[in-house]
Amino acid sequence: METHEALYQQGVARMEQLRHLKPRHGETLQDKMLQNGISRRDFMKWTASVTAMLALPLPFSTLVAEAAELANRVPLIWLHMAECTGCSESLIRTDTPNLDSLIFDHVSLEYHETLMAASGWQAEENLEHALETYKGNYLLAVEGAVPTANNGAYLTVGCKGHTGLHIVKQAAAGAAAIISVGTCAAFGGIQAASPNPTGAKGVYEVVDKPVINLGGCPPSEKNIVGTLMYFIMFGKLPALDMFNRPKWAYGARVHDNCERRGRFDAGEFVEEFGDQGAKEGYCLYKVGCKGPYTYNNCPTERFNHHTSWPVLAGHGCMGCSEPNFWDDMADFEKPLGRQLLHGLDATTDTIGTVILGATAVGIGAHAVASVFAKSEEE
Amino acid sequence: MANQSATHQRELVFGAATRIFHWLRALAILVLVITGFYISWPFLVAPENSDVLVQGFIRGGHQVFGFLLVAITLVRAYLFFFGKSDNERRSFKDVLNPKSWITQLKSYLWMGHLDKAGVYGPLQFVTYLAISLVAFLICVTGLVLYANVYHQGLGGALSGVANWVTMMMGGLAPVRIWHHYLTWVFIIFVVIHVYMAVWSGIRFKHNSVDSIVSGYDYHKKK
Repeated sequence: METHEALYQQGVARMEQLRHLKPRHGETLQDKMLQNGISRRDFMKWTASVTAMLALPLPFSTLVAEAAELANRVPLIWLHMAECTGCSESLIRTDTPNLDSLIFDHVSLEYHETLMAASGWQAEENLEHALETYKGNYLLAVEGAVPTANNGAYLTVGCKGHTGLHIVKQAAAGAAAIISVGTCAAFGGIQAASPNPTGAKGVYEVVDKPVINLGGCPPSEKNIVGTLMYFIMFGKLPALDMFNRPKWAYGARVHDNCERRGRFDAGEFVEEFGDQGAKEGYCLYKVGCKGPYTYNNCPTERFNHHTSWPVLAGHGCMGCSEPNFWDDMADFEKPLGRQLLHGLDATTDTIGTVILGATAVGIGAHAVASVFAKSEEE
Repeated sequence: MANQSATHQRELVFGAATRIFHWLRALAILVLVITGFYISWPFLVAPENSDVLVQGFIRGGHQVFGFLLVAITLVRAYLFFFGKSDNERRSFKDVLNPKSWITQLKSYLWMGHLDKAGVYGPLQFVTYLAISLVAFLICVTGLVLYANVYHQGLGGALSGVANWVTMMMGGLAPVRIWHHYLTWVFIIFVVIHVYMAVWSGIRFKHNSVDSIVSGYDYHKKK
């Protein structure tokens, strides 16, 4: 297809441009792979799988390989807002580092609060230096929601006491592209759950630039690295869905590719955790799976080096990559149609109020009417 | 025999199309509510054999009757504006007239007769208008959910609009939960609708419930 041909040429031009830039550190990707015991064969397999995941034809795998090697020319600034660092952890998988984490190591990471050695004034200086030096060229990744209430006073970072809101706005102004890593940065996440006292918001709501949203609590390492790779390869944003999530990752619902989908269509449902249906691997819809309302590639990409994902482990999807999931998807172990039955006594209380209220109105209406009414209308 | 005559005269109030669509819609609502509650909470036990797609077929039925409801909602809207008889459209005059409102509300409290310009009273007209809007919304949310079920053909053609609606509503879960809430509007409406149809026939001594079958209402000769 000619669109693929044009995209490939764009990638080649981009590689040529990156090659002329100064690498941030001398070590090549090959050196790092050797140190970590990753073979060239592993690397080629990895490039092929990234190419397939991005829904590109196989010839692009050479471009992926080249982009991985040249990743140390792309400055990346990673900011932490109101968050738990689970997204970083999902990416670096410190217990079993592989190529995904190695790429993250290889990319020219200018600032990352969890991983950097610097602290205090030195860290602050690094950030300011990076924002200035790479202005207009750096890739900005944000993890965590941005508290906006009280002018952002609920989150201050660093020795200068800047608010998260201030830092994000400043960093976004000079960014070549912005990635919101995880549901909190993308849509506010749990911090933005009702009643949201800190006014937590997604990054796209506080900056006036396009933002790629990688929903998920956390997003899989594949979705983070794939997005990084796409930017390194082409220097632009991938095709995005209705909530600015990359279509190659969030194009289908969890339900569409679920390994238990056949059980759903057949009407075989787990009635409660631990029953015979659960042992047989029946569908988890009736114990609250929100896969039908959630766009993500969890069933195909899984987590932790393709080890497992929630539904495989026996619990339904809780829709963590969707906007406002903490409120909209509750209760996590009941289907949405049972959402009103939050508390047994609270529910009966509501029913009682309605019944007694209707009774009072009915008696009142009848009493008033019988004063005026004739027995029959002619 | 020649001097015998009927005590009442009859008047055609509902044309054939109105009656047919009324009952088709009633059938669609009945099937959709039952299959919809299954989809919401799959209450049937699993079959012996997983080749029998219980959920799949019930979902299929829900989709077919859903398309029927979409079609009827469109046709009824068309007939309301462009139908030959204007006895529905005439009722709009009563909606704009505060006196007609008072007359209808009083007649519901056993005070006085209900005189109306068209076939509906003002409160009745507004209720039907509201239920038509609810029908429109439940059709839209239903089609958005459908666009995620089948990605080719009609489902695929709808996906662009469906994505836009999903975005405006804040995700697929809110679309689905509104689809569920709107169902209850129909259930409550049906109970009140049947009650009022029977009650007004008894209270005002006319052919109320039967008229949506035969089309005729009967009045005493003046």
